Amino acid sequence: MPTTAFLTDSTLCIGCKACEVACKEWNDVPGDGYAFTGFSYDNTGALGHSTYRHVKFVERLRDGAPAWDFSSDVCKHCERAGCLDACPTGSIIRTEFGGVFVQPDVCNGCGYCVVSCPFGVVDRRPDDGRAFKCTFCYDRQKAGLTPACAKVCPTESIQFGEIEDLRARGAARVETLRARGVADAVLYDPRDSEVGGTHALFLVRGDVREYNLPPAPRLPGTRLREAWRSAGLAGILALAATLVAFLAT
Amino acid sequence: GGVFSGWDEATRTYDTASWQYDRDETGRPRRDPSLEDPRCIFQQVRRHFARYTPELVERVCGMPRAAFEEIADRFTAASGRDRTGAICYAVGLTQHSTGVQVIRTAAILQLLLGNIGRPGGGILALRGHASIQGSTDIPTLYDLLPGYLPMPAFGPDTATLYRYIASHRTATGWWTHFDQYIVSLLRAWYGEAATAANDFGFGWMPRISGDHSHQGYWLDMADGRLDGLFVMGQNPAVGAPNAALERRALAQLKWLVVRDLVEIETATFWRDAPEVTAGTMRPEGIGTEVFFLPAAGHAEKDGCFTNTQRLLQWHEKAVDPPGDCRSEGWFVYQLGRRLKDRASRDPRPHNDGLRALTWDYPSRGPHGDPDMEAVLAEINGFRTADGTRVDGFTDLAADGSTACGCWIYSGVFPSDGRNRARDRAASGPSGQGWGWAWPADRRILYNRASAAPDGTPWSERKKLVWWDAGRHEWTGLDTPDFPRRTAPGFVPPPEGLPGDPAIRGDAPFIMHDDGLGWLWVPKGLKDGPLPAHYEPLESPVTNPVHPRQTNPVASRLERPDNPWASSPDPRFPHVLTTYRLTEHHTAGGMSRTLSRLAELQPALFCEISPELAREQRIAHGARVRIATARGRIEAHALVTPRIRPVVVDGRMIHQVAMPWHFGHAGLVAGDVANDLIAMSEEPNVRIMETKALLCRVEPLGRRPA
Amino acid sequence: MRGEEKKTPGVFSQKVDTIPDREARLDAIRDEARARGEVAAEGMAIAGGPLPPDAPVGYYGQPVLKAPVWTWEIPLYFAVGGIAGMAAAIAAVASLTGADPALAGDARLVALGGAIVSPLLLISDLGRPSRFLNMLRVFKSQSPMSVGAWTLVLFSSAAAAAWLLGLPQTPPGWTPLRVVVDVVAAVLGLTLATYTGVLLGVSAVPVWTANARRLPLLFAASSLGAAISAVELFGHFTPAANVIGIAAAAGEVLFSGLAHRDGGLAGVMRDRRTRLLLLAADVVGAAIPLVLRLFAADLVAARTVAAAATIAGTVCLRYGWIAAGGVSTTDPSAALDPAAK
Ligand SMILES: Nc1nc2c(c(=O)[nH]1)N[C@H]1C(S)=C(S)[C@@H](COP(=O)(O)OP(=O)(O)OC[C@H]3O[C@@H](n4cnc5c(=O)[nH]c(N)nc54)[C@H](O)[C@@H]3O)O[C@H]1N2
Ligand SMILES: Nc1nc2c(c(=O)[nH]1)N[C@H]1C(S)=C(S)[C@@H](COP(=O)(O)OP(=O)(O)OC[C@H]3O[C@@H](n4cnc5c(=O)[nH]c(N)nc54)[C@H](O)[C@@H]3O)O[C@H]1N2
Ligand code: SF4
Ligand code: SF4
Ligand code: SF4
Ligand code: SF4
Ligand code: SF4
Ligand SMILES: [Mo]
Repeated sequence: MPTTAFLTDSTLCIGCKACEVACKEWNDVPGDGYAFTGFSYDNTGALGHSTYRHVKFVERLRDGAPAWDFSSDVCKHCERAGCLDACPTGSIIRTEFGGVFVQPDVCNGCGYCVVSCPFGVVDRRPDDGRAFKCTFCYDRQKAGLTPACAKVCPTESIQFGEIEDLRARGAARVETLRARGVADAVLYDPRDSEVGGTHALFLVRGDVREYNLPPAPRLPGTRLREAWRSAGLAGILALAATLVAFLAT
Repeated sequence: GGVFSGWDEATRTYDTASWQYDRDETGRPRRDPSLEDPRCIFQQVRRHFARYTPELVERVCGMPRAAFEEIADRFTAASGRDRTGAICYAVGLTQHSTGVQVIRTAAILQLLLGNIGRPGGGILALRGHASIQGSTDIPTLYDLLPGYLPMPAFGPDTATLYRYIASHRTATGWWTHFDQYIVSLLRAWYGEAATAANDFGFGWMPRISGDHSHQGYWLDMADGRLDGLFVMGQNPAVGAPNAALERRALAQLKWLVVRDLVEIETATFWRDAPEVTAGTMRPEGIGTEVFFLPAAGHAEKDGCFTNTQRLLQWHEKAVDPPGDCRSEGWFVYQLGRRLKDRASRDPRPHNDGLRALTWDYPSRGPHGDPDMEAVLAEINGFRTADGTRVDGFTDLAADGSTACGCWIYSGVFPSDGRNRARDRAASGPSGQGWGWAWPADRRILYNRASAAPDGTPWSERKKLVWWDAGRHEWTGLDTPDFPRRTAPGFVPPPEGLPGDPAIRGDAPFIMHDDGLGWLWVPKGLKDGPLPAHYEPLESPVTNPVHPRQTNPVASRLERPDNPWASSPDPRFPHVLTTYRLTEHHTAGGMSRTLSRLAELQPALFCEISPELAREQRIAHGARVRIATARGRIEAHALVTPRIRPVVVDGRMIHQVAMPWHFGHAGLVAGDVANDLIAMSEEPNVRIMETKALLCRVEPLGRRPA
Repeated sequence: MRGEEKKTPGVFSQKVDTIPDREARLDAIRDEARARGEVAAEGMAIAGGPLPPDAPVGYYGQPVLKAPVWTWEIPLYFAVGGIAGMAAAIAAVASLTGADPALAGDARLVALGGAIVSPLLLISDLGRPSRFLNMLRVFKSQSPMSVGAWTLVLFSSAAAAAWLLGLPQTPPGWTPLRVVVDVVAAVLGLTLATYTGVLLGVSAVPVWTANARRLPLLFAASSLGAAISAVELFGHFTPAANVIGIAAAAGEVLFSGLAHRDGGLAGVMRDRRTRLLLLAADVVGAAIPLVLRLFAADLVAARTVAAAATIAGTVCLRYGWIAAGGVSTTDPSAALDPAAK
């Protein structure tokens, strides 16, 4: 099976939110409230248990003129995924397409994946009790279909395909844009970070942090060894203290 | 100043006599191919527009001169033999008291730049609703019959079919076929009862008795002059200008039928309108009997969309409508049957037309919907002798031997099994093979203009249709919009010819009696012969161009319940505009009722600039009040640099922009922006001015001024 | 910790009707944001400020990370499990060294009590309690939660067995088995008391990860102190118990001090609830008992107070750290730090 990925090109995005709606329709995701945020036209706010696609609206001045950049966010389907490592039930698995998938029939809602995702993606649904996030349309992919969000995107801002193809396409697009004078176009592809790369790449303008994309996402598991070593030391110290106390008195 | 010659202040109309062409002895307009004669149209146009300099543009619009010049340079550079430029517009250009003049300006520009009738060129109206184009082709408008034939009004011109035809059929150009279209329409409607002897039933056709355009009949309603109303697929309690007036008008009716997918504000005004909440209107005091009838959505019925590109696209029913929901076709057909039934039991002559009306479509499906293809067949037209379908409007006759429900659609369904609106195999650069475009599947109108006067394409890159000298006919990549065998060099004899042959072989605009594109419009519009700048009906500035402040032929419909601010008005220093959001659709019946969409834009807001926010001490996200001469509403403030104050005539003008999708029902509710908008009428198409009015925005804490 | 509320911080409510003084309002909003992790009131930007509103960091200052969704049971479970685990270790040492068999017996009882309550607490926090056993579908060494779940299940059995075998009625022939079970329970108990620190440290939550090495030590010290305190309350106000109590309290002061010095706690300490809980953990759970144990070890009343305070402190410590984690996720700057290794 090919390893599939998304390349979301915000220079093509028109902020129509069709991806958000299509995702909710296909995956039957519940509503997540009617609150007005004031973050430009974004009233979704963040990815969460009932939002698998989230279009960000970044407003700023560019060369003195108002600029409005849109970028559709999604689960990063990390190469080394914090949520997957954390899951004690084996509910979270890596699919044959390289995606990270929560099996809804296995998850018991322990909530540990929630605090283990460096991108703040997966979350526990309060009424349902289980954790939810982008499925990478595993069902559609299995049937040979494009994920719903990419399928519906009218501008092909969301591109779906084989990961290396998309990497190359993203890099080429950055070159094209720079040649056209869009000097601040960058490809978000944190391959050198602890997560070892993501299966969702983002082409954005400006500083990736303005889109809440961590420049150096951290993998919880990198601290596993040191933490356990410390636990071992703690156990030894506790035992030692107890032993000394009983023997010395 | 500020008006053209022929202006009569008393009637507020133009006498067009002084605008007519100077004619030679044979009665033809004089021409100066050198364009140097100071009285030729070209020089007139030049002189007229000479005052509109980039400096004036900056002064009037607040658009920096450099930006204007850059756009002008780029647009002209993108026009020529090898290149074309298009002007796409929607309601930002039209919903003004000068809307038609704005579009006419675009037409002048495109004619001068050679961007008409050519691929990649044109003036493209991005029309809004699904099938909104269809709703004017086979109109829901009170003053038109199908195919843009005028609706007869009471008066001597329409006493007989002959006089009606005489007053609309032109001597030359396409409208010489007018009689064929109206007679075929009458034959389609009244069938065998329509005979040459009885004027094909022309006398049965209803006549216009007054102003029944939207705002006209709503004002009648408000004044208690209307008993009942059908509202089908419209939500005026939210979407119409001065919505508060329209809600109060609804309360004056005896009965109201609302057919909609959801229970919209127009159906529930009597129990939850803002006036009811505020206590100024009491449900017990409203005598209107409201019938809400659930409608079937487009996926629940067969039918056809005709969208902005004049393309008819058939759609098939995917599921049966749930419960009591019924299609429009079903409802109108059933209503017609009941009316005919009553007419058949009431022999008085005013029922003759109803009795004669053909109303016999076969029905289909579990609810007995009329067969929509049978309706399309009637629209396409057929020979009355044997019922065989016509191939197009050129087959139509004025002697009653053909029937056709809408001449421009003729050819869409030439035989059973060949519903061309169903075609889905596009081929070629024009996309022919996907759906069917009226007229005659032409994808680009006036495409004769894509070839030079001699019939050869202006360039290889932009070729579309051309004259094939060998076969002696027009041919190309689209259906030629020109008499097929009229050679490029054809010139009618000096004594003239009747009908299409009167058009020269190098005159592409065949719908005009002279075949020419008109820079100067000597007739047909209520405005002057050339566009001029007028300020909106409410404006913070006085017209910097000339003393006439506003479009002299536009109407304010001013009355106590439709009041206006003065221009300028110290009470209302800010400019208000209304617009759409991607997440909502029009009056919200189809979006505020769906959680998927409603959660994306859950609240009414108004966008203001940081400068205005500072001036008015408004915090981002705070609740503010927006007031106009008509009313006051509340919204969240969305402070954003995307909204910029403009400097007009030396003064800084603040703009306030808000969506108009909110109402009091649905999953997300909000105040009705249209409570702020005035009823008003552009003179030609009678649209209201929603894009520029005067308002005041202020924090909620402050006492209303 | 987050309850049922759905929307992200910084959300405006739909109904606001006054415009109070701008600066005062901003202060109030900032406080509210810090305290509750969300703002339910009007306007957060400076009037007329452009969007993004004086953008702090990131996307409108929105959190990058998710706050923990755990309910009240989890911090309590952390505390109870820690007490039970350390009690088993104390029982094993007291019994194996022969120093205090009576104390060992009551320590086993404390371990048993904790072993019964802990799974109940853990299960009731689950979004799908009926699926608790799915924890035992797999064993994943890379998941502290998996290791912890298995540890808890095995510990509970071992603690129960140890208690049974440690009863005076148990025939002496069972002694070798009791020794083995005591040791097994002790090892599992030590794991149970420390893995919770690993669990928090191996996450994406900034204040937890910054203290990944300190948390197991801190939790161990706190658990040890609370476990010996619980045993003491059965009447074992022995000098040995006091020494253990002193060592534990000293350890807690040390590791908590290190966390406050180097662990990036400054930000979360601005949150009132976190501040109170963490201060209570240190003062009530360690400083006061330490003083009492050092200077009034002979007074039963003082020892009783010290023991009770230590137990209260161990509970505060877990609530405090989990609250701190939640607060630290609301500030996007740590997660967006490009310097993170
Ligand atoms: N998602 C969504 N799509 C829709 C609709 C919907 O409600 N929701 N409605 C449909 C319908 S019915 C219609 S008619 C179309 C309308 O489509 P649009 O015409 O695009 O609709 P608006 O947003 O009302 O107005 C368009 C723009 O006009 C600009 N404008 C205002 N005044 C002026 C002016 O004086 N000059 C110029 N050049 N621009 C000006 C405003 O900035 C605004 O952005 O959309 C259709 N499509
Ligand atoms: N201030 C301001 N006002 C405006 C505008 C503006 O830009 N600014 N724009 C104007 C424009 S361009 C337009 S087009 C109007 C639109 O205004 P309206 O036409 O009044 O508003 P809609 O919400 O489109 O109403 C259509 C209704 O049809 C229903 N419907 C959908 N399908 C069917 C069907 O098959 N059968 C039946 N029976 N019902 C159906 C929908 O649920 C919906 O309630 O608003 C105008 N008002
Ligand atoms: S982004 Fe978060 S939820 Fe998605 S795969 Fe990575 S760690 Fe898991
Ligand atoms: S909440 Fe579900 S998916 Fe997440 S770690 Fe726990 S069991 Fe796995
Ligand atoms: S891949 Fe599927 S589940 Fe994921 S965001 Fe797209 S539509 Fe939603
Ligand atoms: S569907 Fe495509 S264009 Fe629309 S918001 Fe999503 S990514 Fe952007
Ligand atoms: S993609 Fe479809 S729905 Fe969207 S703007 Fe175009 S025509 Fe309208
Ligand atoms: Mo429209």
